[in-house]
Amino acid sequence: MSSETQIRLFEVTTKDLDGLPDSRGESVRSMLKADYGIEVNSVRVILGYQVKSDISDSDAETLIYDLFADPVIEIGTKGSRMLDDFPNLPEAAIQVGFKPGVTDNSGQAGLDGLTTLFPNQSSAKVATFTTYAFWGIPEGITPSELAAALHNPMIERASVAGRDDCFKGVWPLLEFPERPPAIFQEPASVDLEISDDELIEISERGLLALNLNEMKTIQDHYRDPIVRADREETGLPPDRPTDAELECLAQTWSEHCSHKIFAARIRHVDKVTGEDSTIDSLFKTHIMQPTLDIQTDVDWLLSIFHDNSGVISWNDDWSVCIKAETHNSPSALDPFGGAITGIVGVNRDILGTGLGARPIANTDIFCFGPPDYSGSIPHGLFHPSRVFRGVHSGVRSGGNESGIPTVNGAIVFDERYIGKPLVFCGTVGIMPRLLADGRESHVKTPEPGDVVYMVGGRVGSDGIHGATFSSLELTEESPSSAVQIGDPITQKKMIDMILEARDAGLIQVITDNGAGGLSSSVGEMAELTGGADLDLGTVPLKQAGLSSWEILVSESQERMTVGVRPEDCSDFEALAMLHEVEATAVGSFTDSGAFVVRHGETPVANLPIHFLFDGCPQLNLESEWQPPVHMPVETPDLDEVGMGAVLGRLLARPNVASKEWWVRSYDHEVIAQSVIKPFGGANHDAPGDAAVIAPLQGGTQGLVISNGIAPRYSDIDAYAMAAASVDEALRNAVCVGVDLDLISGLDNFCWPDPIESSKTPDGRYKLAQLVRANRALDDVCRAYQLPCISGKDSMKNDAMLGGEKISVPPTLLFSLLGNHHDVRKAVSSDFKRPGDAIFIVGQTHQELGASELSFMLRDEGVGGIGGAVPEIDPERNMAAYRALTTAMRDELVASAHDCSDGGLSVALAECCFGSDSGASVDASILWSDCEHLDLWGALFGESLGRILVSIRPEDREAFENSMKGVSCHYIGEVSEGDEISVTRNGEVVLFASMSEMRE
Amino acid sequence: MMKPKVAVLSGFGINCETETMAVFEMAGATADRVHVNRLVMGTTQLSDYQIMAIPGGFSFGDHLGSGRLLGNRLRFGLREEVREFVSAGNPVIGICNGFQVLVKMGLLPGDDQVSLTQTASLALNDSGHYENRWATLEFDQASPCIWTNGLERIRVPVRHGEGKFVTDDPNLMDKWTESGQLVARYVDPSDEYPSAGDETLPYPISPNQSWRNVAGVCNPSGMVFGMMPHPEANHSTWLGATWTREETEHGEGEGMAIFHNAVRHVLRV
Repeated sequence: MSSETQIRLFEVTTKDLDGLPDSRGESVRSMLKADYGIEVNSVRVILGYQVKSDISDSDAETLIYDLFADPVIEIGTKGSRMLDDFPNLPEAAIQVGFKPGVTDNSGQAGLDGLTTLFPNQSSAKVATFTTYAFWGIPEGITPSELAAALHNPMIERASVAGRDDCFKGVWPLLEFPERPPAIFQEPASVDLEISDDELIEISERGLLALNLNEMKTIQDHYRDPIVRADREETGLPPDRPTDAELECLAQTWSEHCSHKIFAARIRHVDKVTGEDSTIDSLFKTHIMQPTLDIQTDVDWLLSIFHDNSGVISWNDDWSVCIKAETHNSPSALDPFGGAITGIVGVNRDILGTGLGARPIANTDIFCFGPPDYSGSIPHGLFHPSRVFRGVHSGVRSGGNESGIPTVNGAIVFDERYIGKPLVFCGTVGIMPRLLADGRESHVKTPEPGDVVYMVGGRVGSDGIHGATFSSLELTEESPSSAVQIGDPITQKKMIDMILEARDAGLIQVITDNGAGGLSSSVGEMAELTGGADLDLGTVPLKQAGLSSWEILVSESQERMTVGVRPEDCSDFEALAMLHEVEATAVGSFTDSGAFVVRHGETPVANLPIHFLFDGCPQLNLESEWQPPVHMPVETPDLDEVGMGAVLGRLLARPNVASKEWWVRSYDHEVIAQSVIKPFGGANHDAPGDAAVIAPLQGGTQGLVISNGIAPRYSDIDAYAMAAASVDEALRNAVCVGVDLDLISGLDNFCWPDPIESSKTPDGRYKLAQLVRANRALDDVCRAYQLPCISGKDSMKNDAMLGGEKISVPPTLLFSLLGNHHDVRKAVSSDFKRPGDAIFIVGQTHQELGASELSFMLRDEGVGGIGGAVPEIDPERNMAAYRALTTAMRDELVASAHDCSDGGLSVALAECCFGSDSGASVDASILWSDCEHLDLWGALFGESLGRILVSIRPEDREAFENSMKGVSCHYIGEVSEGDEISVTRNGEVVLFASMSEMRE
Repeated sequence: MMKPKVAVLSGFGINCETETMAVFEMAGATADRVHVNRLVMGTTQLSDYQIMAIPGGFSFGDHLGSGRLLGNRLRFGLREEVREFVSAGNPVIGICNGFQVLVKMGLLPGDDQVSLTQTASLALNDSGHYENRWATLEFDQASPCIWTNGLERIRVPVRHGEGKFVTDDPNLMDKWTESGQLVARYVDPSDEYPSAGDETLPYPISPNQSWRNVAGVCNPSGMVFGMMPHPEANHSTWLGATWTREETEHGEGEGMAIFHNAVRHVLRV
């Protein structure tokens, strides 16, 4: 029985039971205190659901406890307002809900639950709301201030009731968020026979992010008589592009998709050495060539540079792959949505590798402004602590709900990340080497005639212009349509279905729909067969009325594009139905040489494949290196207790301090493979260096996943920054015992705009930094035999707000994926027992420039950050790493920990935290590495290639034998108690109590 | 000897099916990944299996309460099949989200009639958020639970945001204690065995502030068992939280005993 369509409100809150707090309200209360310093007495949270349906009243009644409220611990209502029933009137009540058109995952789940109970209600709609009621609001805090803390106006609405409204019982109520109908624009064409200024105007107005040279290249294409003649036959305007063609070119040619800066021809001038040379593509010269050279020496590089992620052979039966992406601009505008979309997006890169790989591990590295920042925040930006909380929550939701463990990560703080936070999301995947039908799973096998399926989510107006938007700086006008919220459950269902389809041999080719939407995914795969025919009229939409170009470029989430042989289509569709995943045939692959797009019978686009992918003109850029000048580091004279206090302050720096509270809310153990976890040690709170996983349950072969990031050094020299990043990633991997004969890397550059212009007068310097970083990557990766199998760059990390430009420090994240022979021999970072001998592997030099210590002293008002930065000697380091990992395979090493931020003394303290022990160290031997070392350099310097290890006394001799010929010094012993004491030439130079520093 | 067949449910955001299948195989059973819809559509029959497992995960994203929507799918879509399977005395386990599903659909703590009436729940942790950390569990030796037979203590990870076991009728807690249904409880590993008690242990020894430190419960017959922590995630010694600090002979992890128990039970019957 159905009645008229109406909207009903259901409300739910926690039941009053002894021993059952309203933990949702309590979380809001503590968040307000921690992030805003607002202390309210209590908060109550009421969950609201508006159901728009034609369900009968009696059926609706059953929804209260069969669907919305838990009958044991919650109370639910229908129609009435729960706030009326509270014994004490609140002082403020705020209701928050999504803006129309924004993804509402809870609402979608509610609808699914509704149709479980009433299968005929599939056209109903459910929207969710949260109402917060407050008691004990401090003087001077207005309800709108509370509302500002509780919602993001970019994606949400808030309705506020102040004290007066509350006393009158006038409660906040938002309207049902009806998605506005889209207005269909007839396919149009764009006249390009106009002036240069007008060409630029078209690019800027349309958010196309194309420069004049690129616009003129497009103009030239449509002047070509052969092109015009071909177009006559297609029914498209012969002499000009359609709007869809222009959009498609803008997406494909965007910095985001085609990495124009890395492909540019650069004239590089070095004012120090007098070098004046030309580099034809940084990517080809410094990233691709070293890897190709390494490929001639090894047999395990299966697929590099051309797929969604790089693939290496792990053993005879399995291959593994890795990819990292950034999602910086969306995370600045909506930290939660940006981050969740980032993580589920990079998962799809793995799913879209070869014929489909299974994502098995995530890594997350964030760069934020300092959480305790007290300066002013430009309008349009969030305080770093709010960005942090939102990003963290997005990654948690995206990873946990997808069943992919977050195994490793890092958080870096610097004021310059206030303008644009960097959110790096990485994923590792695994796939069988061979499918049952004999095909190698890392090779795509599309053929003309294969049917193109769009699988997963539908297309909406969300996510239009993401690729081009991220290729522009952030401004007040940045569009909210570029922000989306990921839906991990839709994606999880799709992953399950795709992997089953892969194993059944139903997939010919697959890629994800990320930046550029269908225009990119179908276009890229069309390159493999030589063409594709796409019908936009068949694409399932979230809302009717989308224009052709919007359907073509929309980046709506949770979609894969899959090629299926015609004879397999019915099996493929049956599998989709089983998993409740939408899969729609939208076209076919051809060998026509063109990417042809129709909307029903209407021709929309016809682009030659070679023009689409190879037509973008190369940029010509200039770089000039002139080293920057900084005030030198100044170190005071302190006694041993004073030095102990310096160590304590370093450990409290946000960059060094424990991130345990945050990391514990990521699932790092799903899939039951986690051998070396984010935290180890006696109290489970000592940070691990690298993750070790054993992804085949019961098997002992492992994978090592680690990261290196050292943006501080860019302030002096980006060469040192990049070298330090690569070395840190490898060092971390060595600490757990990686197999140095099977290591692969992934480079992820996040740079400020390095193209000189009126907005970027220092473009040449920033580009020179990029050149130097690339050269370091080249030098170090060759020396370490560490091929980069995949990578990504994000080159516009600037924000222009209120006339002020904030650029991120040039940042390279280097991620490493390596083999582990036997996880039972993996080594953790915590000291194991008193009496164990402590050694330092590697050499210590006087290198305090841009160290964590130098930044701390500068922030405390003493000196600058200038000085020598760590210099890399990769051959020396590699010899030591090989000797150490061999000792680990012989089970001679009790613990190993990377010396990085804060140097030797911080590493010592972290190893002690993990074992509730102290350490007694004589540092005198370090002066044998470097005569002009000073005490500060010895204790806090960050020289590369150093690992702090501990050895059981009975293994000491064997260990020393196995380290013969490499830099490795005995420096002391693990001791009972909680004191760290460091001496030099018999004099105590640093003394600290661990229990005091733990506070 | 015939291997027991285990139906390991999958789909809709369940995500621990791979390791759950693996531990049953390690324990000597044959495990199939069975999408819930295969049972609902009838292309697979539950009655072809001797054990059913509902693994952990985030079914339907935990929206509207963890385990609620999948519980409804089973309660409304598979009601008779599930009742028959349980009434016939087949072992059933739900882990984490699977436990939440069994509680929300009324199979746990359950009743002799298998009436599928919800009597308990798993509320948001007092911390207000999801956490992944290791805990020590102790088992009630007097419990009828066939899954935990002979077990004293094991160390396992907890990975949940809603794991606080509660009910709205305090008398029920006493009743379930007497019947041995509150079979798994969080304990302080530094206390001597046995130490399980009713007084709520401090956070994070009790990660969620569950009533009476309850981590897992069984139904009156002891055949249906569910727990918030993840025994399948400790299937091998090298997955332990502190294994690098311990002198261990490498081999099966502490969680495996639970799965061996069920397989042995089926083989004996």
